[in-house]
Amino acid sequence: MQKFFSNKKLIILMLIIIVTFGLLAVSVNIKDKKSTPPVIQQVGNDTVSIVGGIFAYPTNAVKNASSEFSDLYNTYTENRRLKSKIGELAQNQAKLKVVQEENKKLKDELKLNATLTDYTFVNASVLSRSPSSWQSYLTINRGQTSGLKKNMPVMSGKGLIGRIIEVNKISSKVELISTDNELNDKFASEIQSDNKNVTGIVSKYDSDSGDLVMENVTSTKDVKKGQKVITSGLGGLTPRGLYIGKVSAIKKDNYGMTNSVYITPAAELRNFTVVTVIKSSVSGEE
Amino acid sequence: MDVKTRKITGQVIFVLLALYLDGLMKWAFLNNMNTGEVMLIPQLMLMVLVMLSMRISDRRQLITYGIVFGLIYDSYYFGMIGLYTVLLPLAMVGVDHYKFLFVKANMGYEISIYFLALTFMQSGIYILERLLQQTKVDTMDFITFTLGPTLLWNMIVFFILYIPLANLSDWLVKYRRDK
Repeated sequence: MQKFFSNKKLIILMLIIIVTFGLLAVSVNIKDKKSTPPVIQQVGNDTVSIVGGIFAYPTNAVKNASSEFSDLYNTYTENRRLKSKIGELAQNQAKLKVVQEENKKLKDELKLNATLTDYTFVNASVLSRSPSSWQSYLTINRGQTSGLKKNMPVMSGKGLIGRIIEVNKISSKVELISTDNELNDKFASEIQSDNKNVTGIVSKYDSDSGDLVMENVTSTKDVKKGQKVITSGLGGLTPRGLYIGKVSAIKKDNYGMTNSVYITPAAELRNFTVVTVIKSSVSGEE
Repeated sequence: MDVKTRKITGQVIFVLLALYLDGLMKWAFLNNMNTGEVMLIPQLMLMVLVMLSMRISDRRQLITYGIVFGLIYDSYYFGMIGLYTVLLPLAMVGVDHYKFLFVKANMGYEISIYFLALTFMQSGIYILERLLQQTKVDTMDFITFTLGPTLLWNMIVFFILYIPLANLSDWLVKYRRDK
């Protein structure tokens, strides 16, 4: 025993191992279970993110400019396609307005305050992305002071991109749906088919094809390629009706037991600098 | 402010700049989010710290740098503490311990030391994350799709940035002790 304690290198090695696993276990537990990280960590992250904003501003400007430049290439074909849709859109907008008003009146009569489809939103700009292979996190410049909470869904212009995983006072981290993670990252969703809506859970990401995989699907009889997939609003802080993407394929799993629906995500997950955090008006369990 | 404090402030700003550039590089043009399994991870901060630890002889200062910047990196980018916080000081002490073998620092030596440090960091992070079930990627996939491309990308960046970075870190470390 005397000899063991005289061996300085061995003790240092032992201490390093204990400290590493202690720190990691505690911080992973806090990340998974608590709604916010400890105050010191929050303050640290916020300070770093404030300075980071200074660097992110020019980067985002360049990013915007470059994506506008690439847009310029296909302007002509896009314009032709869009022209044909404009007439349809105006008609739909008018119809939507009438329906929304009617819906509001009916809700008032039924004394319904908020349903699953009601939400408010907060816009935030992206500060950076984690230089890590397995934590696909974005840092955004809004936090608790803007009313953000853990697990709120996040959209880019076109569709769902992920979910908030950590909130600090004035910054937060968003986990992208492209993360290959067992524990988090599940969205209750539904496919809008002709007769009846089919529900399931978007739970995996296929990195080969870049598709999202929807599992626990009730029945794939009516599901066809090209149908739209939205969030179903069942469970948690996600409201109903957020657009996820379109059905691209239906496959059996390895054992031939259940069907998985492959979804091409609507959000491009690349060319955006601003995201929208969705706050559901009906608060689920915390 | 005396020269030493000024030089240390300069070193800290230098490393912080590299820390932010890591995230911004990943965000601006290495974010293959939709398809492809290949992961390129920019590691400019490690590059800068390896260069500094080749030149700074005070080991206590190196360990402090490693722990402080490791903590910031872990908390800001990973959301869990203990990856860079532990591995970064270890890598820097390792560089400090074996640098006496090289008579004169030149590009060949520094690039191979950076190569070893990068491999050590990435493998260490992979092993720790695998143990804590933060990832399910198997070892072959890690080597092919993450470690290989990351090493390649960072070697190229090192090659391009070597002369300015080496001169800057020379200037930031060396000073004459005169009043």
